[in-house]
Amino acid sequence: MTEIKRGWNRRKTMVVLMAFSMIFLASVAILGHIFREEAMVTDFSRKNLAPCLQYPFGTDFMGRDMLIRTIAGLSMSIRLGLLTAFISAVIACVMGLAAAVLGKFADGLILGLIDLVMGIPHILLLILISFAMGKGFIGVVIGISLTHWTSLARLIRGEVLQLKESQYIRIAEKLGISKGKIAVKHMLPHIAPQLLVGLILMFPHAILHEASITFLGFGLSPEQPAIGVILSESMKYLAMGKWWLALFPGLLLVLTVLLFHYIGETLGRLTDPGHAHR
Amino acid sequence: MRKNRWKAVAAVMLLAAMTAGCGLNGGNTQTKDNNTELSSIEQNNAGQSNSPQTANEQKDSVIVVMGPTSEPESGFDPAYGWGAGEHVHEPLIQSTLTVTNRDLTIGYDLATDMKVSEDGMTWTVTIREDVSFTDGTPLTAEDVAFTYNTLKETSSVNDFTMLDSAEASDIKTVVFHMTRPYSIWPYTMAIAGIVPEHAYSSDYGQNPIGSGRYIMKQWDRGQQVIFEANPDYYGEAPIMKKVTILFMEEDAAFAAVRASQADIVYTAATYSDQEVPGYELLSFETVDNRGFNLPAIPSGSFSEEGIPLGNDFTSDVKVRKAINLGINREEMIQHVLNGYGTPAYSVCDKMPWYQPASETEYNPEAAKALMEEAGWLTGSNGIREKDGQQAQLTFIYPAGDSVRQALAADTVNQLKELGIDGKAEGAGWDTAYDRAQSEPLLWGWGAHTPMELYNIYHTLEQSGLAGYSPYHNETVDQYMDQALASSSLEDSYELWKKAQWDGQTGITQEGDIPWIWLVNIDHLYWSREDLNVAKQKLHPHGHGWSIVNNVDQWSWK
Repeated sequence: MTEIKRGWNRRKTMVVLMAFSMIFLASVAILGHIFREEAMVTDFSRKNLAPCLQYPFGTDFMGRDMLIRTIAGLSMSIRLGLLTAFISAVIACVMGLAAAVLGKFADGLILGLIDLVMGIPHILLLILISFAMGKGFIGVVIGISLTHWTSLARLIRGEVLQLKESQYIRIAEKLGISKGKIAVKHMLPHIAPQLLVGLILMFPHAILHEASITFLGFGLSPEQPAIGVILSESMKYLAMGKWWLALFPGLLLVLTVLLFHYIGETLGRLTDPGHAHR
Repeated sequence: MRKNRWKAVAAVMLLAAMTAGCGLNGGNTQTKDNNTELSSIEQNNAGQSNSPQTANEQKDSVIVVMGPTSEPESGFDPAYGWGAGEHVHEPLIQSTLTVTNRDLTIGYDLATDMKVSEDGMTWTVTIREDVSFTDGTPLTAEDVAFTYNTLKETSSVNDFTMLDSAEASDIKTVVFHMTRPYSIWPYTMAIAGIVPEHAYSSDYGQNPIGSGRYIMKQWDRGQQVIFEANPDYYGEAPIMKKVTILFMEEDAAFAAVRASQADIVYTAATYSDQEVPGYELLSFETVDNRGFNLPAIPSGSFSEEGIPLGNDFTSDVKVRKAINLGINREEMIQHVLNGYGTPAYSVCDKMPWYQPASETEYNPEAAKALMEEAGWLTGSNGIREKDGQQAQLTFIYPAGDSVRQALAADTVNQLKELGIDGKAEGAGWDTAYDRAQSEPLLWGWGAHTPMELYNIYHTLEQSGLAGYSPYHNETVDQYMDQALASSSLEDSYELWKKAQWDGQTGITQEGDIPWIWLVNIDHLYWSREDLNVAKQKLHPHGHGWSIVNNVDQWSWK
């Protein structure tokens, strides 16, 4: 008993839970992609069915299987979140490094840009960009990518400013190594953990924002199986007592977001040296 | 630990004492509460027993709920679409020269007689002399002429290009000079409300003065309009003295029914399986049709604005005929409208100008044979192919319109039987019109005028193609031109019918079939069981004001 307890600690629990979350999310993403055609299938002979064994999430007004549709929607959300979070992280990384390394003028410019983007309410800017890019998948990706990089960029800039004062960077400077090379070779590895955690914590934001602008009608087009589309469609049917249309997709969206948040937090703790002994 | 336990016991005892005390006091207050409750129930009862009485007293008022888009944005001014807009209806506040009868032929309101010259270029209308506006001023031919000249100048929603000018030749005679013969002018006269020349200004829409059955008493923008019966109305006095119109979204409207707050409330087929005590579901037949266009020319050309025109697959008339034969309209009505609809075979079903030859039987075998004949043979995956091309078709529907979305989806399902690979895609109106030039779009039409046929099938002068979907047939054009030039309305009906099918060519199944019509959507209303809604005309497109066309004749049982 004690043997096991000694070998098993909170860090390991965290790793296992994290691995489960990741497997769950990955399987949703993959399953949804496989079933994306089935999610569009309409069959009017089975419309408006309440949840039953055959259709655990019920069916909607065009007889679409809500379980498949929800998974396909979540899959779309996860893949979209992945893509946009990645793009945002890259932008944040480049901006953060540039601000810290390229001198006063560049720093001022980038800080100004960050303030500008942060100054406008997220959702408003998102709608504007998405609408200007012609909505749809492309519009949503560009919209979310261009609005979510700011806080991470700020974080990285602060981190890099600290690094700049450290001994080994100063030595590298004295050795005449170029600014770019220092940034990529000596600073980037150091900020990689923050970047990774930042990236993962960006997921839930990206997913929720995708769902909300699609819900408002400025995102993905209505025949696509997206959580935002499903939720906005189900609004009309709530008054008729068709609760299953909104409940399950909504719950699963919350679950997905929570899992991503958990993974991000856990990863942050695991990589933080201060937590090493727990 | 021991100390703690003592403390816990002490706490419990204290609590018990307190609740006991409370209990005593609470008992008193409870009885008091009970008393007040009782009295309030009594009051409620009194209120309830009163309410039938008040209802008795108010048996001449009705509360109608319509969709928020029914609220006229620019007010109740005919020049800005009131009555004569995209969705035509009787203007209630104003009188019109003519009216459409229940069978959609023409009757008289203000007019007592109308004549058209041999060449169709002059209409002479005499009007009744006993009519006054609600401010007491008599309505004269001057007002009529003023109204039509104003409409021609300012109307942004209705076509008045056929009118050159209107003049009053004497106090009761108006002469319309036309720019081109227009035999169906009486249908335009049936929706153009007459405004007073002396009281017309830019804010007329907010303070309309008319001579019609009702006076607009109050308008709270975004909420409600209240009409009261015109006491000096020249016709039969309205039975309903007060009509309140509320504007609500579909789900809010249904909530209002559940809360018993309105008397007659619009609803959609998706709600039709619900039941609300005290209410019945009324279903009115309409010419509010849904259908889709099939571009009738091959792709490759562009409009002046650079929009691509035509579609190689649907440019083959055999394919279009096959699609029309392969649509099972009855099944579609069950699937999408829960049974509340009628099959549509033309844009003008059941109108006096409807061509009965438009009717098409569902025949999948014949449809498949036609596809074979056209050279589209079944490929490996069940989808037909011709010269390496797959039989594919994208059906566009206006995003946010769930009925058209479902119709598009069901069309796709039904065409799969024929081996056509379809797909439904939502789009905004900003792009839908342009895309319809090369792809089928789910449309909604239906109005009380044959002009609708002209708008859809007649070619435009600039492009040589019809405006909404590329198509041209000179014979069809000629019949419609003749119909407009005809000097009698009855003759024109025949010509409109011939434009659809003359035995040789036309726009029906036997002809070019450039549009496929699917269903006429019944207009559904929740109505209080004791409300007697008088017999309705066929409702046109637009699930709104048509219901109150005859509100003056409604009554309570």
